[in-house]
Amino acid sequence: MPYLEYILAMGNFEYSIEAHNLRKDFSVSESGKGMMGAVKALFSSKKRAVHAVESVSFSIKPGEFVGYVGENGAGKSTTIKILTGILVPTSGEAKVNGIIPYENRRANGMNIGVVFGQRTQLWWDLPVRETYEMLRHIYRIPQDTYADMMKKLSASLDLGPLMDMPVRKLSLGQRMRCDIAASLVHRPQVLFLDEPTIGLDVLAKENIRTFLKEMNRTEGTTIILTTHDMNDIEQLCKRLIILDKGRVIYDGATEDLKSRFVHDKIMEVEFHERVETLVGIPEVVVVSSSGNKMRLKFQNGNSGIADAISRLASLYSIKDISVREPSVESIIYSIYEKTTLLPKYKDKG
Amino acid sequence: MNPSTFIKFASVSFQKQVTYRFDYFVSVLNGFLYVFIFTSVWKVIFAKSGASGGFTAESITTYAVMAMVIRISFSMEDTAIANKVRDGSVAIDLIRPVSFYMMNLAECVGYSAFHILARGIPILIVSALLFGVHLPLEKLPVAALSLTMAYLILFMLNFATGLLSFWVIEIFPFMLLKYGLINLLSGGIVPIDFFPASIRPYLALTPFQGIFYAPAAIITGHVSNERALVMIAEQVAWVAILAWMCGLLWRAGQNKLVIQGG
Ligand SMILES: Nc1ncnc2c1ncn2[C@@H]1O[C@H](COP(=O)(O)OP(=O)(O)OP(=O)(O)O)[C@@H](O)[C@H]1O
Ligand SMILES: [Mg+2]
Repeated sequence: MPYLEYILAMGNFEYSIEAHNLRKDFSVSESGKGMMGAVKALFSSKKRAVHAVESVSFSIKPGEFVGYVGENGAGKSTTIKILTGILVPTSGEAKVNGIIPYENRRANGMNIGVVFGQRTQLWWDLPVRETYEMLRHIYRIPQDTYADMMKKLSASLDLGPLMDMPVRKLSLGQRMRCDIAASLVHRPQVLFLDEPTIGLDVLAKENIRTFLKEMNRTEGTTIILTTHDMNDIEQLCKRLIILDKGRVIYDGATEDLKSRFVHDKIMEVEFHERVETLVGIPEVVVVSSSGNKMRLKFQNGNSGIADAISRLASLYSIKDISVREPSVESIIYSIYEKTTLLPKYKDKG
Repeated sequence: MNPSTFIKFASVSFQKQVTYRFDYFVSVLNGFLYVFIFTSVWKVIFAKSGASGGFTAESITTYAVMAMVIRISFSMEDTAIANKVRDGSVAIDLIRPVSFYMMNLAECVGYSAFHILARGIPILIVSALLFGVHLPLEKLPVAALSLTMAYLILFMLNFATGLLSFWVIEIFPFMLLKYGLINLLSGGIVPIDFFPASIRPYLALTPFQGIFYAPAAIITGHVSNERALVMIAEQVAWVAILAWMCGLLWRAGQNKLVIQGG
């Protein structure tokens, strides 16, 4: 009874995904080139340990949409592989829907959907339609449930024109739409997306985002999303987990990133005449100036920014003023770099 | 895995072969050439020495044709697992709630089905017309059983070799070893009867003669019914032993498997 444990665990878990002190070491043998190198590597004991994941813990509730980000090589894909049951951690424990994925790979497989952006799960040589037919058999989906879900997926991901095309003739964006649909035909409770927007154009990304938001809202699918595109995160993920060298360095609301890491706001001011220096507003510092324009940094003091602006307006003749907040991207970038905020700002509104 | 999923996997694998048929004529010709070479060689040998090893010039031709047709029909993609491990696409197989073993078996069956229909049977027909093949029809039911067991033995040897790629990326040396042992000891080229009597008992302790010798000897009526039943019993035993070993290897391998890429 491979699914017994799943049945027992059903409805018996508070969290969709739990990771507890997950650690994964890879041992890399320093082998030479070619066949002799490979044979030597068999017998040599010269091994180097790579700590892909050092210590990762988090819990994700049903229905959450979580961004999982970090620099290249931070250990994101390794975590996803553990949670999908295809990689056994060196130590620590993971649970998905109450079951340990790498000990019950097949039972876990029934409840999860996975997209690995860099590789396809579609049958390469077959028309797209055939992949979904295969999946219907594999997941033992009743015909009517399957038809409903296919109708929904086909409509929202615009699969109609692609259905009869062989997979190998699809463009990257088309393939990704088909892949995302393939990960969802069996209505999984948890969806793992490892870089599903990689290499897509702005419009294609936008369509996929809209779709994922919709799935999360209407089906209540728990989604964990790995991406290097911070627009994905800002638009989709209420919660953000940042990984650095195999450790979680931030786990919290995406919104809170700003208040946690950003203490400064930037103002762009245009005066009616040239202004050399500002006096009388100590909480505002000049970052740069050119012509009549000036870029100012507001440091959170006792009084708010509105107060500073009104004093600025009373002392100087202002033509235009705008307040900018740093983008999530620039915040995360600065966290990776462990530097103070770089002056790379994005318009808010 | 339920039968309908098994058939689905097998038919997809079959279709894939149909898609890649560009080398089809080459491989038919190639197979036929092998039959021609082996039957010719046996003819020359038997012309000189007369009957030997329980074969006559006529029965050795039938044996050679059948052994080669079985070999061609039992074509398997024996590097499939290693390739999937190397490029990491094994990840896709493993996220699915299906038995890895059954999925590979199903794909293997679909692959072989194509080679039976597209190569094995045509080559059998042409060879029968050209060289003369004498098959006692009453042996067919028993032979079918032996063929099934032979197929499973070969599949599991390939599966086990493929699983070694969970430990080492480069399994080519193991493949070479496997080819060597099968070519030499399976009866696919030289019937076991021609081996020295002193080493034949040891050969019986390996699974290899259950691959081509048993089914070819049974289907051509080279062995008695009693002997055929003993051979099938040995094959069944090997199927059980190999299934158990594959199970052990698979469980151990899962902890070792490193999914590349991503
Ligand atoms: N099979 C492997 N053998 C050895 N080292 C590995 C293996 N797989 C991953 N690593 C190492 O583990 C670390 C984490 O890799 P992982 O693929 O999880 O990173 P990632 O966060 O997904 O990065 P990216 O954003 O580039 O996809 C990297 O340093 C990588 O080199
Ligand atoms: Mg990755």
